[in-house]
Amino acid sequence: MDGHEPENLRELLGRFFDAGQVEGRLADFQEAERLLREHPAPEPDEMLIANIKAEIAMRLPAVRVETFRRRLWEMAGIAAAIAVLTLVGVRLFHSPARQTGYYASLIPTAIWESTNIAADDADLVLFTTEIEQIKDEMLGLESGLGTGDADSSVAELEMELIQISSDFWKG
Amino acid sequence: MVQGDDLARIIAGCKGGDAQCFSRVVDMYSSRCYGYFYRSTGSKDISDELLSELFVKLVEKIGSYKGGSFESWLFRIASNIFHDHLRSKQRRKKLLESRQGQAELEITEPRQSDGELVDRLQSQLVRLDKETRELIMLRYYSQLSFKEIAQMRSEPIGTTLAKMHRGLKKLRLLMEG
Repeated sequence: MDGHEPENLRELLGRFFDAGQVEGRLADFQEAERLLREHPAPEPDEMLIANIKAEIAMRLPAVRVETFRRRLWEMAGIAAAIAVLTLVGVRLFHSPARQTGYYASLIPTAIWESTNIAADDADLVLFTTEIEQIKDEMLGLESGLGTGDADSSVAELEMELIQISSDFWKG
Repeated sequence: MVQGDDLARIIAGCKGGDAQCFSRVVDMYSSRCYGYFYRSTGSKDISDELLSELFVKLVEKIGSYKGGSFESWLFRIASNIFHDHLRSKQRRKKLLESRQGQAELEITEPRQSDGELVDRLQSQLVRLDKETRELIMLRYYSQLSFKEIAQMRSEPIGTTLAKMHRGLKKLRLLMEG
């Protein structure tokens, strides 16, 4: 029942006590352990051991089922994680081209319906030029070639569009 | 004494739910664990209960054993069971005190009326405080190193050594007196 290694204990005691104290303390440990050896505790009854083994045998099927269930849940969890990752991967790499904006006619129907061709022509030329310029800027921003602050550029463009639109309607 | 690979095979068998392997573990450790419980509680009946509880816990928890010292793992469970027992006793004692207005007998005091033959060592052990007594028994019956015991108790190894030395010295004096 001993199993302790006095050499290791001596070494361990040496880390905490003076060399002079180590031997005395080691002797204290060994003497006390001798006392414990000389007064062994009672052994467990054979009936108790038999009962414990029977209890274990009775509980094992439930434990096996629980273990199986736990493994099943773990596998289901892993399978779900793989499925989610696969789905995310498929969506990321095979998604259709994103629609980044919409196009709408900026030329009011009034122009098309007007009969004053000379006045409308002048407005139309000016209007078309401005639209072309805005279109170029928008394309530049979309392709990421713009150098300025993207948000403020878009805001500026929007302001320009609003101004053009209102100017046009004012005549 | 089962060693290294054999023990690993037995534990693997336990993890697989093999009743024979559990039976081997019971044979290998019941004596030491019972000694630890008996010397810590001073009662055969309580030790019987705690030993049964330990092996039931072993069956339930064997899946969580991830290697390392099996004895250290097993005695950690045993120590937890013992402390749970102490706590539940204390709760019951307080409840009784509050209801009856009288203190129960010291929980670990060996009682001859139980029909148990109390040996001299046991009668002196109760003079040590519970913590020291449990520490000495844990060291003696688990055969764990001081390093392992210190880790188990979450305290510096020097503290464990000092407590153990004080306890053993006092026990020796009591036994000689």
